[in-house]
Amino acid sequence: MLQIAARAVERARQLGAQQAAAGVYRSREVSIQWRDGQMEKVIEATSRGLGVDLYVDGRFASVSTCDMRDEALDRFLQDAVALTRTIAADPFRQLPDPQSYPQWARRSEPAPIDLELEDPDYAQVTALERRELAEILEQSARKGDSNGAILSVTTSVSDSIDESWRVHSNGFSAARRGTSYWLGADVSVQDVDGRRPEEAAYAGSRFFNQLPQAISVGQLAVERALGRLGSVKPASAVQTLVVDQRASGRLLAYLMGPMSGAALQQKRTFLGEKLGQSIGSPLLHVQDDPFVKRGFGSRLVDSEGIEAKPRVILDQGRLSMFFIDTYYGRKLGVPPTTSGSSNLAWQLGSLDAMGLIAQAGEGLYVTGFLGGNSNATTGDFSLGVQGFAIRNGKLAEPVAEANIADNHLQFWPRLVAVGNDPYPYSSMRTPSLVFDKVMVAGT
Amino acid sequence: MADNHLEGLAYFGQFGIDEALIRTGLQAALSRGGEFADLFFQYGQANSLGLEDGEVNRAYTGVELGVGIRVVRGDQTGYGYTEDLSPQAVRRAALTAAAVADGPARDFPQAFSADIVPSRYPIARPWSDVHPGEKLPVLQRLSIDTLAADPRIQKVSVHFADSSSAFLVADSQGRIAFDLQPMTVLSLSCVAEQDGRRESNGFNLAGRQGFDWYTAERLQYMVGQAVARTMQLFDAVPAPVGEMPVVLAAGSSGILLHEAIGHGLEADFNRKKVSIYSDKMGKAIASDLVTIVDDATLDHARGSIDVDDEGNAAGCTTLVEKGILQSYLHDSMSARHYGVQPTGNGRRESFRHVPMPRMRATYMLAGPHKHDEIIASVKKGIYCTNFANGQVQIGAGDFSFYVKNGWLIEDGKLTRPVKDVNLIGNGPKVLEKVDMVADDLVIDQGGWTCGKDGQSVPVSQGMPTVRVAAMTVGGRG
Repeated sequence: MLQIAARAVERARQLGAQQAAAGVYRSREVSIQWRDGQMEKVIEATSRGLGVDLYVDGRFASVSTCDMRDEALDRFLQDAVALTRTIAADPFRQLPDPQSYPQWARRSEPAPIDLELEDPDYAQVTALERRELAEILEQSARKGDSNGAILSVTTSVSDSIDESWRVHSNGFSAARRGTSYWLGADVSVQDVDGRRPEEAAYAGSRFFNQLPQAISVGQLAVERALGRLGSVKPASAVQTLVVDQRASGRLLAYLMGPMSGAALQQKRTFLGEKLGQSIGSPLLHVQDDPFVKRGFGSRLVDSEGIEAKPRVILDQGRLSMFFIDTYYGRKLGVPPTTSGSSNLAWQLGSLDAMGLIAQAGEGLYVTGFLGGNSNATTGDFSLGVQGFAIRNGKLAEPVAEANIADNHLQFWPRLVAVGNDPYPYSSMRTPSLVFDKVMVAGT
Repeated sequence: MADNHLEGLAYFGQFGIDEALIRTGLQAALSRGGEFADLFFQYGQANSLGLEDGEVNRAYTGVELGVGIRVVRGDQTGYGYTEDLSPQAVRRAALTAAAVADGPARDFPQAFSADIVPSRYPIARPWSDVHPGEKLPVLQRLSIDTLAADPRIQKVSVHFADSSSAFLVADSQGRIAFDLQPMTVLSLSCVAEQDGRRESNGFNLAGRQGFDWYTAERLQYMVGQAVARTMQLFDAVPAPVGEMPVVLAAGSSGILLHEAIGHGLEADFNRKKVSIYSDKMGKAIASDLVTIVDDATLDHARGSIDVDDEGNAAGCTTLVEKGILQSYLHDSMSARHYGVQPTGNGRRESFRHVPMPRMRATYMLAGPHKHDEIIASVKKGIYCTNFANGQVQIGAGDFSFYVKNGWLIEDGKLTRPVKDVNLIGNGPKVLEKVDMVADDLVIDQGGWTCGKDGQSVPVSQGMPTVRVAAMTVGGRG
């Protein structure tokens, strides 16, 4: 497959591209869905495709195809080069500086570091094992329902192996393989007023033997679903928010989107003049760590081939960097950093969610969001939320149909506590977070 | 009306697809006792051009070609797909899908026939014949005119996308259906600055249209809308907090229907009894002013289809009539479960995806009231004109949608703009509270995309001006 990428680069150069980068991927996915005592869906496939970035006479196009027949590929590249020639020249477009590639990729050698992204036993997982896991997920969920509230349980077991190969005309060649496994359980329950709330639990890992017990995932799903019964709409009020680890990553993602070079250059960010300045409380301390063994976001090079390295994103509340790729770096006249984050690493606190709830005393514990959005240009956001009321340091009634609204530049300074519980099933790895004085809309 | 079956085979013949290959796939698919099988061949090319900082300086093309093979046994589905259309690869993918069943092989069809398929989005020139050079002036015109429209505009970006997708679906009953689906989306966005404050907004148009749809008038309209929607944001006051009357403008307010009821009526959720509308067929679920349809037949609409992705006829389905629930949205599997005809809602993102019940163009029919009368009836509330996105919990019924532009209503008048506020409610409760419906139905022409189980499909939505007596407005006060 590396040869296909190399041939595409070579052919693009023959057709008139001064520079080209080609990536080939192949992935195999198997996923099963099990519902209420029987198999519902089995999906199994191997998929592949090719993407090529073309730099022709100062012009740029990015094209992809999954029609890999030789004659089709050749005509595809001819058309793509012709397409590139029709648009305007852009002096800022070029491949990254080869000095930014790791030495091994410049020499077309295998990577010297193993991030343990691939489970060597991937091919050993059998259809029967997947089916057994799906059944255990359902059974453990049903065991947690003593009052017969469950309407339906859907569970899922999936795994995939993803391989990719990338070649750049200015001296870059690298391959990457990774596996991942996921378990999930969705539980719907009957409420007395006709509502049928559902909740879920998911868990994933790059290694099969590192997945949590299916029993615990099923138990968590039913516990969460039963917790939704009898939910009420809260009164509108300013409250302390404890945001659970599985929800908090979304708040951080809204803060980080406007840190891109494109947002900065296009003036679509409320962080435009904030580099080096405080935008949050000193507890907002987040680093990017690409080298976590078995991490979902781990990598040796970023999406452009630039050598990965650990970075400080937010230094005790101060904005330390933007995510600047080669193109927007040249447009902005600054050196590129990296095109996006890998694995995040928060400076953790000492309490888990229940400890933070006890400390908060009164407020709202947010376990999930429902719609809403965040304006990258101004920092205003408004998000539907659900969760539980907090009274006397304990969880009280479940809350639904509520909404929170704020502006990031005023919100993050009111981050008053960080949990010790980074969410393990996402590269965001964000712990539970506590914010003071947030407007909650309800009745 | 061309012979759909022969037209489809002729089209896909260029990729080596013929009846022999279809029989090979179906034979393997049915080799383990599956009750039903289908092969979904797809070819598509998507092109887009981007303008940034005054120049059309980026171009993108994506080509998709492959087949998805489904085998059904009872409520169970096996699925495989491949981009390799050699007989060996198709057979391998079909055998994978076949493994969902476990029994003796079944007969596969030797001959195929097609139903007549309507033609709801003919275009004069296919997008593959439109040279990229012809499109450049459209992007440049939008950029120049937007910058000229107001000195506060700092940045303009334009994205011009078009695609041609063709599919041929052949099933174990010997049916073949073929459709050619054009699509285009033109998006204009801008950033403006005033007194050190920045705001951004935009406008987009989408449809199963050809290049000639982008007339000078239409482009002018886009510029006017994008600039007005952006400038309005500078005058916005903080949105209010809590429950209050909400008036939804005619057009894209159809997002309320999409979230509050559309998803909940997708029959797969009801078959599994996990929708809040399960067991509600024939019952009152909305005020008697409310009649809602899901329509595949609108000329050139983004959500229109000639035939669904399972080869079933797609028409206009009445979901709710005068508040009474009339029908769910069905694919073949749910229709079989309920013993009804499929409603032509079996859709999928691509050959890599299993079809399921999805919306097409969902809208509320006009009612007896007048727009001005509705605004005048509200003492304190908000009027919502433009929307960004929405979401729903199928079982609990809670949903929300994000209002990008709106107005405060004070003493029956639109007073000051509001912006960036999420509205949240419960589907059946909100539909009961629809107490005024105007006579001004508008089908929105925006580039709406619906997501479900990780699959995206294009949809349309529409609405007359509507008053909801109370919904929670998530402002900051």
